[in-house]
Amino acid sequence: MNREMQKGERSSVWKTSFFLLTGILLLVGLIFSILAAITFGNADISITEVYRVVLYELFGMERFAAYGEGAVHDVVWLIRFPRVILGVSVGMGLSVCGVVMQAIVKNPLADPYVLGISSGASLGATAAILFGFGTLFGTNSVGVMAFLGAMLTSFGVLFIANMGGRANAGKLILAGMAVSSVCSAFSSFLLYISNDKNGMAEVTYWTMGSLGGAKWENVAVILPVILLGTLFFWTQFRSLNLMLLGDEVSITLGTDLHKVRTWYMILASLMVGFAVYCAGMIGFVGLIIPHVIRMLFGTDHRRMIPLSAMLGAVFLVWADVICRSILKNAEMPIGIFVSLIGAPCFIYLMARKSYGFGGGRE
Amino acid sequence: MKIAAEQIALSYGKQQILKDVSVNAGKKEFVGIIGPNGSGKSTLLKCIYRVLKPDQGCIYLGKEELLHLPYRESAQKMAVVAQHNYYNFEFSVREVVLMGRTPHKKPLERDNAEDYRIVEEALKTVGMASFAERSFSTLSGGEQQRVILARALAQQTECLILDEPTNHLDITHQLQLLKLVKQLDVTVISAIHDLNMAAAFCDRLYALKEGKIVGNGTPEEVLTREFIRDIYQVETELVWDSRGRMHILFL
Repeated sequence: MNREMQKGERSSVWKTSFFLLTGILLLVGLIFSILAAITFGNADISITEVYRVVLYELFGMERFAAYGEGAVHDVVWLIRFPRVILGVSVGMGLSVCGVVMQAIVKNPLADPYVLGISSGASLGATAAILFGFGTLFGTNSVGVMAFLGAMLTSFGVLFIANMGGRANAGKLILAGMAVSSVCSAFSSFLLYISNDKNGMAEVTYWTMGSLGGAKWENVAVILPVILLGTLFFWTQFRSLNLMLLGDEVSITLGTDLHKVRTWYMILASLMVGFAVYCAGMIGFVGLIIPHVIRMLFGTDHRRMIPLSAMLGAVFLVWADVICRSILKNAEMPIGIFVSLIGAPCFIYLMARKSYGFGGGRE
Repeated sequence: MKIAAEQIALSYGKQQILKDVSVNAGKKEFVGIIGPNGSGKSTLLKCIYRVLKPDQGCIYLGKEELLHLPYRESAQKMAVVAQHNYYNFEFSVREVVLMGRTPHKKPLERDNAEDYRIVEEALKTVGMASFAERSFSTLSGGEQQRVILARALAQQTECLILDEPTNHLDITHQLQLLKLVKQLDVTVISAIHDLNMAAAFCDRLYALKEGKIVGNGTPEEVLTREFIRDIYQVETELVWDSRGRMHILFL
C-alpha cells in the first residue's frame, strides 16, 4: 500500500513541479516578450534607444532625461509600449475567458465569443461605422458601441437561457446561437440599406481586429480589468472544475452552480467586451490556447487559468510583432494572422491521437 | 445519522412520479429500494440528494430539514454515487476523487497533504490506487463506478446514497462494492436492481411500484413469492443456502 501511495505522491510532486517550472518559464517569457516586442517596428530606432526611453519612463533615471521627449520617445512610449501591453491584456483576457466559457457551456468547442458576443459587438460596430451611432461617446465610438453590443447580447443570452426554468449548458449555447443570428441579420441589413462601400470596407477591417488603437488611457482600464478577472477566475478553480462534472454532481459535492455561472458569465462578458472595445475581434486565441494548455497539463483549472493567461499573452504579443513586421510599410490585421496560424495548429491538435478533445482517447 | 423522507410527492407535468412516499433509514442502517423500471426509485433518490425538489413533503438529514441546509453542509453529511458519470473533459482519476474534498474546503483554501492522504486511501479502498494518474475517460464503466465511489468515500460523510451502484460491475466487483459499503458503518440508502444482492446486503427494503411504497420490512418479510409476482410479474422459488441465506430463483 505504501508503495502505491508513494508512487502517487511522487507523480503529483512531479506534476506540481512541472506546473511550477512552466509557470515560471512562461512568466519570464512574458516579460522577455514585452521587452523584445517593443524593439520591433517600422520606425528605425536602435535597441539601446528603446531601452533608454523605457528606463527613463519606468524608473525616472535622470541620466536618460534626454529621452523624455521627442519623436523616439513618442514612438516607443506612446505607440509601441501601450500596444504591447494591450496585446498582453487582450491575449490574456481572451484565453482566460475561453477557458471559462468552455467550462460554463461544458463544451470544448466554445470560445470567448460563443454566447453571441461577437455578433453583438459587430452589430454595434456596424451601426457606429455606417450611421455614426454613438458619436457622443467620443473618439472611439466604434469601440464603445461594440462594447455595448457585446454586453447587451450576453445579457440577452443569459436572460433567454433562464426563461422557462434554470439555464444549463445546452440552453446557453442554443440561446447564444439564436441571438447571434438575429444580430448578424441586423448587421447585414444595416450594410444592405446603407449602400456605403467605404463603410463596408471599414466594417470588414474592424472585424479583423487590431491592436493599433492602443493608448495609455485604454490600457490603464483594460489591464486592471483583465488582471483582476484572471485572478478571480483562478480562485474559482473548484467551481470551474465542478462545472465540467455537471450541475447534479456539483450539488452532491456542495456547490450550486446556477448562481456562480451567472456571475462568471457577466464577468467574462465584461472582460471580452473590453477586449473588443480596444482591439476589435480577434478569433482563435480564446479557443486554441486553452486546448494547448489542456493537452499538456490536463483539465484541472488551478493550472489551466494561470498558464492559459500567460501563454495567451505571450502568443498575442508575438502575433502582433509579426503582423507589424511581415509587410513592408503596412500592417496585417492581427485577426487574419492569428487565424492563419491558429487553424493549422488546431488541425494538428485534432489529428494527434493522444488528445481526445474531451471525447475520450481512442 | 438518520435520513427520513416524509410524504414525498412529485409530478412531471400531469404525470405523478411519486405519490406520498415515506422512507427512512436509521443510524448506520443499510436500506435498499427495489422496484421495477420506472417505479420512481431514481426520482426518490434525487429528491433525497437535492437535485429534484419535491412538490410536497419534507426530508430530514439527522434533525435538520434538508431544504434549509446550505448545499455545502448537506454535502459534508451525505455523499452520492449516481448512475451516469460521463465527463466531456479529461480529468485524471486522482483529480476526480480529489473533488470529493470540495465540500470541506473554504472558498480560497488549497488542498493539503491530508486531503491527498484521504484521496489515496479512498482509491486504495476501492482497489484503484494504481489508476490514480490515468485519465478518467479511458476507464471502463466498472472502473469509473469504483472511482466515483472513491470520490464519495473521500467526502467522509455519515450518509451514502447509491443509485444502482452495481450497474456495469462484474460479479467480483458487485460483491466487493456492496461488502465495502456494508463495512463502512454509515447510513446507506441504495436503489438496487438485483433482488439477490438486495436480500444479501440490505437491513431493510422498501418496494416501490408506480410511485407508491408497496412493501417495507426486512428482505425476508418483503421478498415473498407472491410479492415478487405482484410487482415484477415473474414466478420465483425461494431457497436457503447452507449458511442460511435466502436466494431467489427465477423460474
